[in-house]
Parts: sequence; structure tokens; C-alpha cells
Amino acid sequence: MADSSAPKPSSSVKLVLLGEAAVGKSSLVLRFVNNDFQENKEPTIGAAFLTQKCNLPTRTIKFEIWDTAGQERFASLAPMYYRNAQAALVVYDLTKPTSLIKAKHWVAELQRQASPGIVIALVGNKLDLTEDGTGSGGDAEDAGGEDSGDARKISTEEAKTYAEEEGLLFFETSAKTGFNVTEVFTAIANAIPETSLKTARGPGASHAAARTEEQRVNLNGPRDPNAKEGCAC
Amino acid sequence: MESLGDTLWDVVISGTGLQQSLLALALSRSGKKILHIDPNEFYGGSEAAFSLQDAKSWVTHASNGSCGLVKSASIALPEDATGLSPSRAYSLALAPQLIHARSAILSQLVSSRAYRQVEFLAVGSFFIFSPSRDSAEASGLTRIPSTREEVFSTTAISAKEKRLLMKFLKFVLDHESSPHLETWQEHADSPLVDFLQKEFKMGGELQTYIITLTLSLDGQINTRDGLAVIRRHLSSMGVYGPGFAAIYPKWGGLSEIAQVSCRAGAVGGAVYMLGTGIETMEIAEDEVELHLTSGDNIKTRMLVRADDSPSGQTGVGRLVAVVGSPLTSLFEATVEGAPRPAVALIAFPAGSLSTAAGEESAYPVYLSVHSSETGECPVGQSVLYLTTLATGNVTGILERALDAFIHATSDSQAPQVLYRLQYEQLPGADTARAEGPIFTFPAPSPSLSFDDSVLEPVQEAWKKVMGEAAAEAEYMVFEDREGAMDDDVYE
Ligand SMILES: Nc1nc2c(ncn2[C@@H]2O[C@H](COP(=O)(O)OP(=O)(O)O)[C@@H](O)[C@H]2O)c(=O)[nH]1
Ligand SMILES: [Mg+2]
Repeated sequence: MADSSAPKPSSSVKLVLLGEAAVGKSSLVLRFVNNDFQENKEPTIGAAFLTQKCNLPTRTIKFEIWDTAGQERFASLAPMYYRNAQAALVVYDLTKPTSLIKAKHWVAELQRQASPGIVIALVGNKLDLTEDGTGSGGDAEDAGGEDSGDARKISTEEAKTYAEEEGLLFFETSAKTGFNVTEVFTAIANAIPETSLKTARGPGASHAAARTEEQRVNLNGPRDPNAKEGCAC
Repeated sequence: MESLGDTLWDVVISGTGLQQSLLALALSRSGKKILHIDPNEFYGGSEAAFSLQDAKSWVTHASNGSCGLVKSASIALPEDATGLSPSRAYSLALAPQLIHARSAILSQLVSSRAYRQVEFLAVGSFFIFSPSRDSAEASGLTRIPSTREEVFSTTAISAKEKRLLMKFLKFVLDHESSPHLETWQEHADSPLVDFLQKEFKMGGELQTYIITLTLSLDGQINTRDGLAVIRRHLSSMGVYGPGFAAIYPKWGGLSEIAQVSCRAGAVGGAVYMLGTGIETMEIAEDEVELHLTSGDNIKTRMLVRADDSPSGQTGVGRLVAVVGSPLTSLFEATVEGAPRPAVALIAFPAGSLSTAAGEESAYPVYLSVHSSETGECPVGQSVLYLTTLATGNVTGILERALDAFIHATSDSQAPQVLYRLQYEQLPGADTARAEGPIFTFPAPSPSLSFDDSVLEPVQEAWKKVMGEAAAEAEYMVFEDREGAMDDDVYE
């Protein structure tokens, strides 16, 4: 507010990743945050926390990303992550049918337990392993999904229909090539209703989104008006 | 995946209340093998925060006597109340304690980097409720001046009282050095009110202001503790910004800190299991064998748990109410440039309330009002947390306080009470116990502002788990994990 070049309103959005082991959750985050990919990644232990900004035309969204892992056997971790989350990325591996079943289970749990109004994106990952996803062309509509030599086991149609029924965003991605990864996060950022970004909606609160940050108390040193806008903590 | 029984655990932590969770945070970079379990299906133990649905099952649970330190829990929904939002729009805190800026827990959250995942909000003004003395005078709320500026500008007290109050505030800031030290030391163990009377010639009203700042549950805090608490309040003022001394974690107070700590534990590799308790145990010299309710049999070098057997002393009565009004006038920043507060505190001094049957409130009642900014209720509503010592007709007194508050805040139509949760919190052991491979945390503190003494047993337990490797200077001091850095400086 002190700046003449008024910064865009900025809000934090808590996002949680859920899905069966090895579908590529951590790889999607790594691609989004560092634009990097590792072929035989060490599995995440427990869970990791990362942040990344997403610039929209009218506002900036800072994603606080919680990547869960390793403990699918003890479903106990998840509630801690999706508590107060405004967005969830439920990931399956489109070469592995069981992973979609697991994804549906997560969607149901989120709908039952998470914040009302949570934005959920269903993401079919490892598109590069399919005919239509390889290399340059994403336009091979006729690849269909049942072709031999194609590792795809879950058709776009099947997952898409399910996503529509449940009101989920839907994408097929490749963390390996980077295809559609940023798009997922941008779509989520756009789908977060402006109202859930600003808990402050007192009468006449015109810059309500920016106000959210203004109300936070910064524990990290003196309150510098510039740092205040950018730092969520 | 290997089974739980195949591992010799370094520590099993039972319960996810604040202390156990802080221990998980403290151990999160230790490389120790940690199994963290909780018999409840939720995180946070005695410091949990609940949706309405969660609260309902907790009450059912508590009435079966299965929450050791809670009794007489009940929920009341007024028949004619509409406008209660869906269950998950609420996050009602069992431990809505405010945290003074100078509290050591904040330094630990900062040095451990866990603070990055907690949103803190400002705690605003403290008010005092004054009942109407006759029918012509309305009951009302008076803001307590607690800074030099506020003392100057207040119209609530006379010029003479201002001078007295100012003199006292100066005294407190310097009370640990000569000559002030000598002035109060002979009164150290007698009530602060007596000291105020004798040394400062303060009358009832100013005494009430000062006792309220201490948040003393029985109003009888002694001079030593009272001066220390007021000093903490004064020196906390302005630390994190102008106009406020204390802060509150969004989404349910200490519950949020417990959860953030558990997440840090999970990121560090600890295994988490909810809905899993300890059925029986066999203790050997340096190992414990646990039979878990999940059917697993496991071995651990140490077990850390919390005490949950009542001590038989006076408990604390609590009433949590949701009202259908934003109560905007309570949440105004009083200083230029201050963040808008999300919490306001109201004290009903002893004797200021009486029940229909004519019973007077023997102890102060404290009311912490939370705006929807706390994430504990939807916009347009507020959550009220009332606390008083559980003596006499505690339910009646709390109801009276709620009623009196509602009528004192509204000039037009009184806001509607949409929901009520009542319970009594029982005190348990007040010190930690270390017995061989078992460490037991004390029962949670009923105090209204976070008490740093809660942190000591956590560090003690950490020392036991770490053994030789414990380096005090590194306690809770961590680097940011990769990717968690604040990379976002505006271009
Ligand atoms: N071909 C291909 N492999 C991927 C993709 N995403 C992840 N992987 C690989 O799948 C394995 C599991 O990935 P990881 O991100 O650890 O999965 P997580 O357990 O869900 O976090 C790793 O060997 C990755 O290299 C992708 O889009 N395409
Ligand atoms: Mg992973």
C-alpha cells in the first residue's frame, strides 16, 4: 500500500496432493516449482512442503503445496494436510487402473471431510507413456487409447466423464515432458473463488484480497511495508 | 511395506496434543525412528479444533467418560435458530489461548521454521464488563487502557487515576531492579490486589483493570506472578506491529500449532496413525513392548504420553457459543497502521454477574470473542469462548455472562446465539514424570494465555530421546527445508 506501483493483491492458497504411491505427485510438484524432472526419483518420505507463486492478470496466488507420501497404508496423514486446504490435486497414473480407483477414493474423502468449496483437480499423469502424449503432438485425437504399444490403461473419456460428474477440474499431464503441468495450477488458481481468498469482507473493504495479508502478523522481523505484501508468514 | 513390528522404534509418541506434537517437531530432524499415534480419530488432543460434526462425536465420547479430563460436555441448539452454516464451516477450538509476543513458543516456532505454515492474527483490546447499577444506566464494556497512549487518551478514568495507572505501568516495566524490587518483594506471595491497594492506593476499578490484564482465573494471582505477567503484556506490546501485545493462530489456536508440528514430524519421516491407542504394555529396563489397539505389537526404546487422570482439584467451566453477528465494533484497530484484530477479550469481574436464583459470580468470567477472520466460523458470525472456575452453578454463571455480553454489545437487535457447546475441563498432574523408558507430560494448562512452562517438559522429553546426542543450543533450531524458502520478493 505504501508503494506507488501498487502490487497486485496476493493471497496464499493451501494445496494438497493426494494419490497412490508412484503416480508422480512429487514429480508434478518438482516440475511446477523447479521446472525439473528426475527419472528415478527417491520416494518422498512423509510429506514435503513447497511454495510457488502463480501470476494471474489481476492477482497473485502463492501456492503452499503439501506433497504427501509413503504412508498410504496409514491413511492418518491425509486429514492433517487437507484440513483448511483450498485446493487439492488428486493424481492417478493413466497407465495403472488401480490408481484411478484410489483417486476416486480420495475424491470421496475430500468431498466428505475437506473444507466446503475446496477446488479439486483430477490429474492423469504420465501422458508421455501413451501414443497421444509422446513428444510434440498432442493432437492425435484418433489414438483412442486402445492401440497396441500404448501403455494407456485409462481412457481420457472415462476419467473425464467421472470428473464432470463430480465437478472436478480435469487434466492429463506429463511431469516428464512438462505437458499441461503449469496449466493445472493456473486452472486451480483461476477456479479459487475470490471470496475464499479474502476472509476479510467487512462492509466497504474494497481491497479485500490484499487485506487478508494486511491482517496477518509477520513473525519474521520488523514490519516492513514491502516485505509485508510478499511474505505470507 | 515392512510392518510396524519389524522396527525397533526410538520413540513412540502417544497423543497429538500440543506437547506431544511439539516433541515431534523438535525431533523432526533427528533421524530417530518415530511412531506417532493417537487413540482419537482427530489431531490435537486436548488442544483440538472441531467442526460441528467433530464436536458432536467428541461430546458423545466425553459423556462415555472416555476423555479423561473432560466432563459434563453437552451441545445445545436453539430451536428457532436458523443460519447455522454447514458443519465444516466451523473450527471450534478447545484451546483458544492467546499468545503473547514475548512468549518463547514463538521464538521456537521461528527458529524451527514451523511458523511459516501458521497464520497469526492480532489480539485486540481487553474490555471490562460493568453491570448496570440501576435501571437508568446501561451495562457496558469499557476498553482497558494498557499503553501510555491509551492511558492518556482514555475518558474512562479520572486524571488522578491516570497518574496512578501510569505510575504503576512504569513500576512494572522496571520491577525487577532496585528500588522497585524491594517495594514488592515483601508482598511477593500475597495477592496482587492487596499490593495495589497498599503500595499504590488503587481503588476497586483500577484494581480490576490490572487483574484483568493478568487473566487470572481466580482473580487472586500473587504479586510476584502478577507483576511478571503484566510486564510480559507490556513488553509484548508493539513487538510484531503497533497496537497489539498478543497473537492468535488462525484456524483454531493451539490446534493449528499442534498440527503444523505433526506435519513437520511427518516431513521428517515419522509414521502417523490416528485411531490407534495403547492397549497394554510391558516395560523392560530400556525398552517397552506395546500392544496397540490396531493389533500391532511393537517395541520401542521410549514411550512419551500425556497424563489424563483428574487430580480432583477445581476445574474450569467452558462455554463455546456461535453468534450470528460479526460484532464489528469489538474488532477495531485502536492504533494507526495496526492490523485489524481478530480476537477481543472481555472480563466480567467477580461479583458482576448473578444467576436467576441470585447466586453471584465468585470468580471472574473471561470471554474471548473471535471474528470470522480466525477461520473458526463463517463471515457474519463470531465465536465466543467463555471460561470461569468451575464452582457453584458454573453453567448458570456462564449463561448469564453470555446473555449480559450480548445485551451489552448491541444497541439495536441482540445477535442470535446459534450454537452452544459446554464442558468442564478437569485439572490433572501439573508436572511431568520420567519413569525409566516412559515419559509422561502433565495435563494441559487451563490458562487463557499461553504459558511458557508448557515448553519445559517438551525439551526434557527431547533430551531423553536424544540421549548423548542432545545439544541444547540446537534445540528447535532448523534450516528451511528445500523449496520452502521465501522466494517471493515482488518485482
Ligand atoms: N514417464 C513418466 N514417469 C514419471 C512421470 N511422473 C513421474 N514419473 C516417474 O514415476 C516414479 C514415481 O514418481 P514420484 O513423483 O516419486 O511419485 P509419487 O510417489 O506420486 O510422488 C518416478 O520414477 C518418476 O520418475 C511422468 O509424467 N512420466
Ligand atoms: Mg512423492
